[in-house]
Amino acid sequence: MTLTKLTRLASAAMATVFTVVPAYAEDLNVILFSMPYTNGLAELEADFEAATGMTANIEVVGQDVFENRITLSFTGKTGDIDVVHTPVIQVQRWIEAGWLQPVTDGVNGMDSKEDILAGPLDAYLVNGDYWALPFFAETGMMAYRKDVLAAAGYDSPPGTWAELVEVAKAVHSDDVAGFAMRAAPGQGFNMFVFPMIMRAYGGKFFADYPNDLTPALNSPETLEALNLYIDLINNYGPPGAGNFNFSEVAASSQAGKLAMLVDGTSIAAQSIDPGKSQVAEHMAIAPVPEGPNGRSPAIAVHGIGIPADAPNPEASFKFIEWATSEETLTKIALAQPYPDFTRASVAANPEVIAKYESINPDFLNVRVDMLNDAIGHYRPLLPQWPELGAAIGEHINAAVNGLETPEEALAAAQDEMAEILAE
Amino acid sequence: MNQISGVQPVLQRSYRLMLLPAVIAVLVFAVLPLVGMFVLSFTGFDLVKGWDTGFTFDNFTKLASDKRFINSVWVMLALSVFGVIAQVIAGTLIAVGLEKIIPRWRHVRGFFVVPFVVPHVAVALVWLSLFTPTLSPINAFFDLFGITIPAFLTTRWGAISAIVIADTWASFPFVMLLILAALQGISTDLDEAASIDGATKMQVFWRITLPLLKPALLMVALFRFIETIKHFPLIYVMTNGGPGRATQATNYYAFIQTFQNSKVSYGAAIAVFLFIFAAIISFWVARMNARLSDA
Amino acid sequence: MRKPKSKNAFSWKQAAGVTMMLAFLFFALLPIIWSFILALRPENRLFEPIWESPTALTLANIGKLADSGFPKALLNSFITASVSTALAVVIGVPGGFALAKGRSSRKFLASWALLLLRMAPPVGFVIPLFILYLNIGFLDTWWGLIGAYMVLTLPLVVWSSWTSLSQIPDELIEASLLDGATMGQTLRRVVIPAARPGLVATAVLAFLLSWNDFFFALIITRSDTVTAPVAIMNFVSYASVDWGSIAIASIVLTLPTVPVIVFANKYIVQSMGGAVKG
Repeated sequence: MTLTKLTRLASAAMATVFTVVPAYAEDLNVILFSMPYTNGLAELEADFEAATGMTANIEVVGQDVFENRITLSFTGKTGDIDVVHTPVIQVQRWIEAGWLQPVTDGVNGMDSKEDILAGPLDAYLVNGDYWALPFFAETGMMAYRKDVLAAAGYDSPPGTWAELVEVAKAVHSDDVAGFAMRAAPGQGFNMFVFPMIMRAYGGKFFADYPNDLTPALNSPETLEALNLYIDLINNYGPPGAGNFNFSEVAASSQAGKLAMLVDGTSIAAQSIDPGKSQVAEHMAIAPVPEGPNGRSPAIAVHGIGIPADAPNPEASFKFIEWATSEETLTKIALAQPYPDFTRASVAANPEVIAKYESINPDFLNVRVDMLNDAIGHYRPLLPQWPELGAAIGEHINAAVNGLETPEEALAAAQDEMAEILAE
Repeated sequence: MNQISGVQPVLQRSYRLMLLPAVIAVLVFAVLPLVGMFVLSFTGFDLVKGWDTGFTFDNFTKLASDKRFINSVWVMLALSVFGVIAQVIAGTLIAVGLEKIIPRWRHVRGFFVVPFVVPHVAVALVWLSLFTPTLSPINAFFDLFGITIPAFLTTRWGAISAIVIADTWASFPFVMLLILAALQGISTDLDEAASIDGATKMQVFWRITLPLLKPALLMVALFRFIETIKHFPLIYVMTNGGPGRATQATNYYAFIQTFQNSKVSYGAAIAVFLFIFAAIISFWVARMNARLSDA
Repeated sequence: MRKPKSKNAFSWKQAAGVTMMLAFLFFALLPIIWSFILALRPENRLFEPIWESPTALTLANIGKLADSGFPKALLNSFITASVSTALAVVIGVPGGFALAKGRSSRKFLASWALLLLRMAPPVGFVIPLFILYLNIGFLDTWWGLIGAYMVLTLPLVVWSSWTSLSQIPDELIEASLLDGATMGQTLRRVVIPAARPGLVATAVLAFLLSWNDFFFALIITRSDTVTAPVAIMNFVSYASVDWGSIAIASIVLTLPTVPVIVFANKYIVQSMGGAVKG
């Protein structure tokens, strides 16, 4: 209780500190985590000043650094952040905690609202309000070696997960592994990719999201999907695949040691990038495979929002509007490896099309198809999801590496889901 | 002694004055936050849900039945015990080797210290790549001869070994430096006398050097043990606590609860457990140390 | 015949010992060499065995590092680690001296407390420290970081100087006091010089403890005072790990400490020289 007072005292003290500097009110503090878009944005600070007369101090930090600091900054009400990187996966949690302020009026007042891709924008529509503007919409994709598949007699990539297993088996060798996918435990690691298989086989997290949140992970469908995932990673993956994260998946592919991968567009894009991959000329892009229950590409949306205690929301919104404008997105799409833009007009821009077609003619089309197939709640949009996802991910990983049987893993994960939700 | 007994009270006062700044610094920067940690562990503070003020034992009752927590204690003990053993053996062998086997290669010494100054984050990333079979030059090298090195990070004991190896790499120089310093305190007369008596170098090492090194070894093992229970970047970067939860040590678990799950109070309760664990270990060590210095 | 045989046996053991030392040297250097390779390889050759394309090297990562926030972070690391070490030595060595030579019934308590402080898990008290700093305006300041590092360094310095200073003969101190020197003068002119190698080693360890810290800096710094280990984590971004930059940053981070190593080594070698002569 004394600590409650302490924190209040702290906020009061900090409030006075920060009201001393209104002279710099037009200098916006923007905190983002590192990805091609944010790195590109940081280089456009001068453009923002030219466009609005305000200045912005754009700080880009590593994702882990960001995640570990940001909630403390919010809780401490340091009040020094005007614009914040807002991943969809965190939005519900942040709203519940009262850390964000809605940007609904601003969004509805925008002339170019219609231009923003509806899926990503609606991901930020919670309780009737918009809480951020999207700048990044990543979906799932397959990248594969045409030469390796052709040598085994496959002229086209597998269309279903079952076929993928068959192809992986046929092409797997000591030099080139058949397939890899993220397996490291984590909400954003194995739990970013595994639901692609789970949902394709009809598995689900809850009985009837969002109406009935009874955990329903432990089902025959999810078990079938998990067995397929385990089979792929352990039998056709590169050595050590059971601990692979995105960086190992990308690096294996870039080193020419991988025939197929299914991951986010940003990983697929790296595996076909001639600047990074030794086998770029052999690489091709394909849709995420289907299962008995259809196709369910992964989706991850990132946007920028305004902290609840930001001192000057109007100025903050101007920044957000500028940062997600057609002009800014186009510039970054051309300057950075950033095909995950969130405006239709950027996708129609001839220069942008030319750039990404020169790398791979199918890339942009496949991306749009996958975005259309992806469901918004691919990973459930719940305040508890980060914790739930982490717990499930640990059991899935334990099953992959033989620490638990698949049945045990699903049962244990379901129990833990119930415990977390009961709190 | 009698001559200065008159100045003793003055002396003692100046000793106390000398201690004062250290006491104040420790109170402000360490004891105050530690008190905060205890306070937090008896409340319900969740970064997302806010303060649930009022005194509660809930965090501790929950701890007792938390399987993840109990698992984390075993993981911590495994990492610490194996890590300390490996580091002390490697560091001592290298120190003794530098002194006895290659005393003339003085410039080599610097190379052995280098790992110590590499930040642990970088240590973790470099060893992660060395332990990833498709990326590791070690695997690539052995592949030339058709030998396949198993993947370490996908099995329980493999992942624990990998962390122990990376930690040993980063920390053996610490052991080595302290043992080197201790070796210099040991007179070479004994060695010489023993070798004149016909003892082999090995016998001299086992019968004379090692017993004399015992206090230093104990001390260095203790210091390393202290550091290993605070393991963080290696687990965070190399395994994310995996496979499954096989490398989720207690300190890492406290981090997960505090930062990933926002359960600050629960994280604090885990930290309080670690603190009590540390208090018991350090009490035991302090008593041992007092006996050693009395002897 | 006998003599050469025993000589042979001796050198065989010597050879085994040297082989062991070379193996350890290889273990110590492999990750360093690997870091240099990662730092100098172009992105598309990062994980190709170096013997397959030994000439595919680039200096691009160095330029990239210079343009990032890393140089500033390096400066922050250096300042905070140096100042916290200096303060810990200035405050801690007299404290260790007092514990070594003073009469107190609470010495056991002091040694226990010191060990306990070294063991205390940072995860637990970093949040109260954050709240404290929020109150006193210490977040993202050098002083805040230096204060946090005192938590790491001070117990170490007090403990180590206590151990090494208790080996100084009482007679030496008494003689100095009888000559009319004050306690402070005695400490500076007699005690510290006599215990120098041990104290230097302690200071080096204290410096490295702060230098290596990731956790405190992660929580209590922001853009102004971010330290190098945290800045290295900035190269781990969404969906990619910039191995080249991490490797070059680690190398750059290690370089400024080389003089420290050489310096500490000098002391070790020096005292070893004394031992050999004696």
